[in-house]
Amino acid sequence: MRRLLREPLGVFGLSLVVLVIFGAVFADLLSAYDPTRINPRVRFQGPSGDHLLGTDQLGRDLFSRVLYGGRIALFVALVSTAVSLVIGIVLGLIAGYGPRWLDNLMILLFDSMKSFPTVMLALALVTIMGPSLTAVMVVVVLVTVPGYARIIRTQTIAIKTSEFVTAAQSMGASNGRILFKHILPNVIGPLVILASMDIPVVIAIEAGMSFLGLGVRPPTPSWGSILNDGFSSIRDTAWIAIAGGLPIIITTLGFTFLGETLRDVFDPRLKGR
Amino acid sequence: MTTQPKFGLSRRSFLASAGAFGAATTMMPRMALSQDGKVLTVRSYSDLQLLDPAFRLSLPEDDIIRSIFAPMIVPQSGDTWGWKPIAVESIEQLDGLTVAFKLHPEIGFTDGYGQMTAEDVKFSIERIADPANESPYAGDWAALKEVEVKDTLSGLIHLNNPFVPLWNTTLPTPASCIVSKKAVEELGGKIATDPVAQSGQYLLTEWVPKQKTVLRRNPDWKYEQGGYEEIHIIPIEDPATAELGFEAGDLDYTWTAVSSLPRLKENPPEGSVVLEKPSLAYVWLGINQDNEALQDVRIRRAIQHAIDRPTVVDAAYFGAAAVGNGIIAPGLPGSRDAVTYDYDPEKSRALLEEAGATGLSVTLDILNQSERLTAAQVIQANLADVGITCEIKQNDSGTFWTLGSKEGDYFMNLQLVLSRFSMQPDPSWATVWFTPEQVGVWNWERFDNAEYKALHDQGLQESDPAKRDEIYKKMQGLMDESGCYVFFTHEVVGAIHKDTVSPGLKPNGESLLADFKEA
Repeated sequence: MRRLLREPLGVFGLSLVVLVIFGAVFADLLSAYDPTRINPRVRFQGPSGDHLLGTDQLGRDLFSRVLYGGRIALFVALVSTAVSLVIGIVLGLIAGYGPRWLDNLMILLFDSMKSFPTVMLALALVTIMGPSLTAVMVVVVLVTVPGYARIIRTQTIAIKTSEFVTAAQSMGASNGRILFKHILPNVIGPLVILASMDIPVVIAIEAGMSFLGLGVRPPTPSWGSILNDGFSSIRDTAWIAIAGGLPIIITTLGFTFLGETLRDVFDPRLKGR
Repeated sequence: MTTQPKFGLSRRSFLASAGAFGAATTMMPRMALSQDGKVLTVRSYSDLQLLDPAFRLSLPEDDIIRSIFAPMIVPQSGDTWGWKPIAVESIEQLDGLTVAFKLHPEIGFTDGYGQMTAEDVKFSIERIADPANESPYAGDWAALKEVEVKDTLSGLIHLNNPFVPLWNTTLPTPASCIVSKKAVEELGGKIATDPVAQSGQYLLTEWVPKQKTVLRRNPDWKYEQGGYEEIHIIPIEDPATAELGFEAGDLDYTWTAVSSLPRLKENPPEGSVVLEKPSLAYVWLGINQDNEALQDVRIRRAIQHAIDRPTVVDAAYFGAAAVGNGIIAPGLPGSRDAVTYDYDPEKSRALLEEAGATGLSVTLDILNQSERLTAAQVIQANLADVGITCEIKQNDSGTFWTLGSKEGDYFMNLQLVLSRFSMQPDPSWATVWFTPEQVGVWNWERFDNAEYKALHDQGLQESDPAKRDEIYKKMQGLMDESGCYVFFTHEVVGAIHKDTVSPGLKPNGESLLADFKEA
């Protein structure tokens, strides 16, 4: 942590991330309005003391919607990334430690999943499942799992012939114990950093799907749907699109700077790359 | 000392020249085309799905179909309703039950299907009217007895009874487009998206799904020519996106969002003309009476009373459209001044309680457009106010327009749907979609009322405007009573075009592609 705090970019990133998390967690305390409350009499009001970021086409307070939208973004990002990590780790360990034929089969599976364009995959899934938060999370998991699994697999292959693994095998340790007690702790570090750098990507996927009407259903606030609300009137009431876009930029920058700094701290050889 | 020859080519000058040449070559074809006015680029709100006059699905398809399959007559562009002949040299009503026509002698079908004949006219009309074919447009020819072929080019259209909409909403629509009997029979009875035996002022030469449709003047067409050599039709669902496309110079003409009209009229983009036309369309919330959760009429009536129609319309259109009270637009027989249900949340809650439907959850299907989404969110808030949870489901146009079809697997799950239908200038063209025959076709509310059907048939034969007015008002009253409908607006049509283009438009703003000309 001390090393992280010595990096200005890392501190900046951490501040942005803390700001976003704080806003999302304390949304009910920070906002004076119900984010879904419609009041057409005050629609399209610019930023003011009453409405810090203005109001949208239905008179909803944009500041409240942005704060509550942060909850959705972070929920999707954290939950789906965690699920992806768990699945990726298990599949990667199996591929790396299992027999050659299983490894080949799983690599084929990972590459097939990776080759699907994200938007096409999202459209296909939404056609089957209907637009929902679950659909967004399934898309995120399917998009990110192959990458995580591949990294774990590569690290597992490199480590499975190490002396301490051989020693565990000779002492009669089960495969499960070897994988989760001996190999996993040695391969998980880089993955956690990678996952933190993927969070902005996940948030962008959620926002993108909601922008296209494929994600979170109205009236639940989402940064993507705020952006969409602002898109149709961007030339007259640009503050709506700005209110939707700004948190996406802040969060993306925050997690990216934080992730890069963490990577540099844990692996100085990669610094500046 | 040596001097560099003046024509010497340095690396830098070579790159500059190559760059300039490259830029020039990319611009030249476009400049040449636009200078000659050869290419018109317009936006349509949906991509084509079927090019069969008997089974078409949307208004943009109508425009393409009547351009590539010569219709007997088409609507005239301008501010008053009228028609002009296209495939026919002459056409006239001999008496209340007979129409005589004679085709132009030199209209041919492409792909080697020969000359257009009266036999093709007979086939084209009778295939729509034949109940066995289940054309959703069979109602257009509901009064048809038969088409009698007199000779190669002439024939008589015989009716069973007088049919008032014939010259307003049957003949000037794709219901009078003439297809090749031989070609359609070879195709197995239906035309899909790859038309053969085209015969119109234009030929469809290219269709890239979701990207563009290209029409090119038919070189063998000998009669009134379309105004442009080529017409490129770009499907863009969202009008706000289309407006950006227009302002970027990518489109010559587009419909705009109704909600954008106040802004565009106040501050039109340079070199453009903004149009506002009275619309015949109607927008409504449909409630599927056969859905398990909505079978009780009290629940449907509760939904009617829960919705604050003026607020929905104001929120969606920003004051640019007035509240409508039915499916028949002002100015036509049957247009109403009010609906028979009012906004009364208390009454709505009481009805729900009486029906034992407290805690009801419903799904509202909409087309993925900003105006519809805004309207849907107000409806959602209104329903929440009376205790109904409403989930909004956004659909792209391809999915949306098949939601209530009995061919699909969703029509019984369909609960609420926010729809918009365009219309032709006769009230029967609005009422026909809600008859029992249309259940599961275009009647997604599955409203099935024998009295309504009888009144519809009566209206088709009644020529007295006062009596027609009474008939159509009564029909909309029955729709109200069913609880299946909440009527919102007739909208207005907003359009924008470059000032170098003279658009061919019907009085209600619908486009007639072949009538677009250079200004």
